[in-house]
Amino acid sequence: MEEEAEEESGLGRSAAPKDFHFYHMDLYDSEDRLQLFPGDSSRIRREVTQAEDDRELGDEFVDEHRLGTLGYPSYGMRRRDPGREPRDWGEAAEAEDLGYGGGQGPLDQCQDLREAYRYTHGRASEEYECYVIPEEEDEEEPADVFCITCKTPVRTVEKDFDTHKEHEVTPISKALEHAKDEIHKNMCKLEQQIIEMENFASHLEEVFITVEENFGRQEQNFECHYNGILETLAQKYEEKIQALGEKKREKLEALYGQLVSCGENLDACRELMETVEEMCHEEKVEFLKDAVAMTDRLGKFLKTKTDVELSAQPEFEDQTLDFSDVEQLMDAINTIPAPSAPVINPQAPDSATGSSVRVCWSLYSDDTVESYQLSYRPVQDSSSGKDRAEFTMTVKETYCSVINLEPNTQYEFWVVAQNRTGPSPSSEHAVYMTAPSPPSIKTEAIRSCEEAVLICWESGNLNPVDSYTVELIQAETPEASGVTESVIGIPTCESLIQLQPRHSYTIYVRALNMGGTSARSEPATVHTTGSYFQLNKDTCHPWLTISEDGFTVVRSEKKSFRKELPPSKTQFTRCVAVMGNLIPVRGRHYWEVEVAEHLDYTVGVACEDVPKQEDLGANSLSWCMRHTFVSKRHRYEFLHNKTTPDIRITVAPRKIGVLLDYENAKLSFFNVDIAQHLYTFSCQLHQFVHPCFSLEKSGCLKICNGISMPKHVTFF
Amino acid sequence: MALKQISSIRCFGGLQKVFEHSSVELKCKMKFAVYLPSQAESGKCPALYWLSGLTCTEQNFISKSGYQQAASEPCLVVIAPDTSPRGCNIKGEDDSWDFGTGAGFYVNATEDPWKANYRMYSYVTEELPQLINANFPVDPQRMSICGHSMGGHGALICALKNPGKYRSVSAFAPICNPLLCPWGKKAFSGYLGPDESKWKAYDGTCLVKSYSGSQIDILIDQGKDDEILSNGQLLPDNFIAACTEKKIPVVFRLQEESHRRLEGNQQEC
Repeated sequence: MEEEAEEESGLGRSAAPKDFHFYHMDLYDSEDRLQLFPGDSSRIRREVTQAEDDRELGDEFVDEHRLGTLGYPSYGMRRRDPGREPRDWGEAAEAEDLGYGGGQGPLDQCQDLREAYRYTHGRASEEYECYVIPEEEDEEEPADVFCITCKTPVRTVEKDFDTHKEHEVTPISKALEHAKDEIHKNMCKLEQQIIEMENFASHLEEVFITVEENFGRQEQNFECHYNGILETLAQKYEEKIQALGEKKREKLEALYGQLVSCGENLDACRELMETVEEMCHEEKVEFLKDAVAMTDRLGKFLKTKTDVELSAQPEFEDQTLDFSDVEQLMDAINTIPAPSAPVINPQAPDSATGSSVRVCWSLYSDDTVESYQLSYRPVQDSSSGKDRAEFTMTVKETYCSVINLEPNTQYEFWVVAQNRTGPSPSSEHAVYMTAPSPPSIKTEAIRSCEEAVLICWESGNLNPVDSYTVELIQAETPEASGVTESVIGIPTCESLIQLQPRHSYTIYVRALNMGGTSARSEPATVHTTGSYFQLNKDTCHPWLTISEDGFTVVRSEKKSFRKELPPSKTQFTRCVAVMGNLIPVRGRHYWEVEVAEHLDYTVGVACEDVPKQEDLGANSLSWCMRHTFVSKRHRYEFLHNKTTPDIRITVAPRKIGVLLDYENAKLSFFNVDIAQHLYTFSCQLHQFVHPCFSLEKSGCLKICNGISMPKHVTFF
Repeated sequence: MALKQISSIRCFGGLQKVFEHSSVELKCKMKFAVYLPSQAESGKCPALYWLSGLTCTEQNFISKSGYQQAASEPCLVVIAPDTSPRGCNIKGEDDSWDFGTGAGFYVNATEDPWKANYRMYSYVTEELPQLINANFPVDPQRMSICGHSMGGHGALICALKNPGKYRSVSAFAPICNPLLCPWGKKAFSGYLGPDESKWKAYDGTCLVKSYSGSQIDILIDQGKDDEILSNGQLLPDNFIAACTEKKIPVVFRLQEESHRRLEGNQQEC
């Protein structure tokens, strides 16, 4: 106990360690496993000592630390008492079985406790002491009951002794168990405590490290500040000294100047004196002559004031030492520095909308920051000289969504961190871009066929965008609803997209730039039934008018002007015709034309560059069916290169079906109402062709689009 | 009725066969040619009846026209009967090439000694189709008829007299108005007697004028350089005029070829 006490106070005495040592916290270190058999105590003692020596026993702190964790070696130390002889209990084996391997077994602890008890009791009763000793020697008669009152084992027979007469006794085994339990509980508590102390020890280690770090930081901080102050002081000193030096120079110069003028004065005086003296030695007549002049001269000379005032005082003024800024610096030691410049992040992809961007930045230091100031202005060409509007906003977070911006525009952003000391330097300028405005599909110019659609759109943005995306949703299919197919990376404002036949699609277009994607355009609907095209107004002969819905072609009686039209590459100038814009897909296309019985018309197909000064069918770039009603008879021609087969048709068609088949190189005409095939051209179509229509006399024809091929046609 | 296969030749993926049978209508053994495209093995195909012209047998068409290629693609079963009863030993049947043997004119004769055997009209429109439908993979709902010259005439009258039976009619240089042409007059007076009113029942142009059946689809190809045309035997204009008036849809193509050039024609079935 004494030793322990000594060690404990020693703990209080210990100074903070210079270094750390990491301790083996393992409670059950096999090296130090203490033997349970007491006979080996001396050996054990040696072992313990050995082990401890290995662990730098010389360091006082080590021991104390160990003590703090209730390491078992402390028990070992106690064991140095040479007078003690460990007991041999019959239950030694049993104690071992309790499983407290290594360290000190409960047996030992029991022993120590017993020793303690023995001590007290020993003093109290001689009898006890006496009683005890024979027990040591006498191994044939172990104690078999336990006196609770005296807390000592006794022999049953001795129970009747005076000492234990009225005492409560229990069988020794029971007592043993009880004792074991107690000890077990204490062991658990000890273990708990060990764990707690271990945790605390590691925590302390961390704290140690933190202290070092903080110290380091403070040290640096102070060093910085003090250096600053010293520099300032040195600077001031230099300045002052220099100023003094200047002053000295000034004074000396002034005085020197005075000296020089004095000297001059003296010289002048002396000269005069000499002159006067010389004069005095002259003859009277000469003397009188010169005297007058001399008198004047002297008079003048003496009138000039001699300045005998010192131009510069020898004393220097008292210097006032202005240390106010140094004081400031000193005070500022404890103030936190202004933050370092934040780092503004590049724009994250797809984080912008048409009117906003999300700007993010980070601070790569531990500086305290109270707020950030985000500034921005639109990026413009350097050529435009006008001032650009600049905006600033204050935010607390390291990100900000900036709204009310123009679409498809680049903005320069920079950010400054602020705390109560002041602002940081500005970050770099980063350029963010808003997403574009959505495009608008030219719905009136959509062309389609059973396998594809050709859509074009307006960009919706003044400046160019990077690309466009087309989104398709198949309508009418319940299982496919919500599934959007996208075509991306479209460079121009039009796209030819493959589709499934006989479906309806909803189409959207989006524009993309580096800022992100625009919102969807207004939708357009496409039906892949039959072929769908519009008339090309640019090709329309001036005598033809196209109805508002774009599908009726009218030639009126009146001719607006009779003069010859200049030849044109796009517009029909002779043949009163108009062409359609068929989707350039080499599949099968079908459309119908409604005509009146007595109408003179021509319907068919022609290449885009068909000569516009010629009639349809009069060249190799057009194939058509022409009907002329003359002398009450219907005449039908199927024209290409000005030639036609001789064909007679007995029933005049009212509705003509036209089938264009690129694959099979055929162009067929049908009487739709009676499903009658009229004629088929075999034509090798190397170019794309377009539907063409002309009216040789006044009248009108109506074009029907988007019709799926009737069955009788599909055989062709 | 028992069919006896006479020959079978593989041709364009299909089989060109010739059969013989005993005809009830004609009371003699008759041959006919049948072309079975490859698809006939797996399913029923549309049937096209080809009626040949004067002096022809079942062989002319199958050996000279090269139609098999055209038939194989739309998988048509093409049936080509003979042009008249054979071997009946009727007196005078071989006297001229344009009457009697090889010149049945597709009528049912009413005059002796022809009326017993010369019943080509019934043969072509009833007996033969029944036989074909029973023995070959054809779709009875999809039948078309065509022919050349006298056969063209036969095709036209069979179709006009049986509205709805044939999906389409194609005639190559047909005798359109036999009533008014030398061949027709000779044949009809021989088979049908002197009463011209009875001839109308077998005259295409007359039949058109009184046609009131369902829609019919007629295609006529005529060679411009056809001397028979210029001889006034064919008279297509009469037919066309009648059709125009009755609004029977006909497409009449005047080709550059002569009478004998036969084209494989794609038929709507």
